Amino acid sequence: MGENYQLSKWLSGEMTGAELKAFQAEPDFVIYEKIKIHSLKLEVSAFNEQSILLNIVSTPKKNIKTISIAQSWIFKIAATLIIALGLFFIYRNLETSTFYANNGTQNTFFLPDNSQVILNSGSEIRYKKWNWNDNRTLNLNGEAYFKVAKGKTFEVNTSLGQVTVLGTHFNVKQRGKRFEVTCYEGRVKINYYNTERIINKGERVAFEDERSIETPEILEQSPEWLNREMVFNKADLESIISEFERHFDISIELKGIDNGQLFTGSIPGKNISAALEILSLSYHLQPVKVNKNKIILNVIDAQK
Amino acid sequence: MFKEELAGICSENVFSGFFKSHAKSLRNYLYYKFGNEKQAEDIAQEAFIKLWQNCANVSVEKAKSYIYTIANNASLNVIAHQKVVLNYAKNAPNKDSTSESPEFLLEEDEFKTKLLTAIQNLNETQRVAFLMHRIDGKKYVEIADELNISVKAVEKRIHLALIKLRKEFDHFR
Repeated sequence: MGENYQLSKWLSGEMTGAELKAFQAEPDFVIYEKIKIHSLKLEVSAFNEQSILLNIVSTPKKNIKTISIAQSWIFKIAATLIIALGLFFIYRNLETSTFYANNGTQNTFFLPDNSQVILNSGSEIRYKKWNWNDNRTLNLNGEAYFKVAKGKTFEVNTSLGQVTVLGTHFNVKQRGKRFEVTCYEGRVKINYYNTERIINKGERVAFEDERSIETPEILEQSPEWLNREMVFNKADLESIISEFERHFDISIELKGIDNGQLFTGSIPGKNISAALEILSLSYHLQPVKVNKNKIILNVIDAQK
Repeated sequence: MFKEELAGICSENVFSGFFKSHAKSLRNYLYYKFGNEKQAEDIAQEAFIKLWQNCANVSVEKAKSYIYTIANNASLNVIAHQKVVLNYAKNAPNKDSTSESPEFLLEEDEFKTKLLTAIQNLNETQRVAFLMHRIDGKKYVEIADELNISVKAVEKRIHLALIKLRKEFDHFR
């Protein structure tokens, strides 16, 4: 094969002495030699390297050159900010939202799916905004009335029991040991310890100390407490006093021994003295107003 | 280590060093190929700009084949082919010119003019290889490297170029 490219060997000076001698003897050699000599004197026009180099180096580098940008402190600060913002929004969505109704007040608010919740005095609801429509679960401490929008299962957890619905109006009450659920529309499923109950419109279940308490039929369309009325169903004095304290945002001290009587009925909650009078008559109590926020109830000894 | 390489061609010192050792070759290569000096210069510059902009993605070892590839791709459609116009160095040492007879000088001039035309008429690949060797003084290995072909292929092109050029001078024999 090398034979074929003798001329290129000669041009680059790679020919052996013998080969060169033979080639020089050829008549064409003179012409080749002339081509070799003259072609070496050829040149192309000059080329202004320096100005072209300046042109090139002055063009901005593309952003693809991530390394130097990543090294710049501005990028680091921007990245930190973006990450911080991202975490903040994730946290905002993942964090538990909490709604309160302080003593003496009620609080109405809407969940992300427009379900309405009315919190009774001294109650609290916690839930996670994130993925709410697929996971409608909230935690309740106290009493609340729910108007649930149609959708997936809606769950109310309390420390005593759990309520599951699809889309109804219902009231959940968890006070002390008492757990009460009232259904005003649709159907509600209640889990309390090991029992599971389903109630329909106008029905109520109540539990205390793991026992079911009989309740009368509900005729109202919505809980009485929405109209600032206090309704008790076989309640002891202690829980009534707690309800008074929450409802009127006062502190009540009971002096004397509770006779253990259970109270059923409703007490109007718009006027504190009227309410106290009804309570006093029922339980033979003597209310003493210490100051605006503190009342002492003295038990009148029936023997005297 | 990878990062260092990347930083390498991005650093202005390394880049200008690379530019100085390859810019002229690239521009000449494009010129031998198409004969259009202005466009050869533009495309060479364009190739180096691309290298500069993408320096983070091109290692020092790859830089040379990178610019040749970019230049080749860019020239495919853009360049309008023209005749390769070359000059003879005026101040090139011509040791025996003074002692030659006028007839001989005339003959020499005729030969030189004829040679230029002959080079213009070479086919593109042969002309490129031949001129890279004669004008840029590159070794066959270097030419092979830049054209991305084997050394044997370069030798063949040179060989054929010489034969073709010689044929133009049949009457000189």
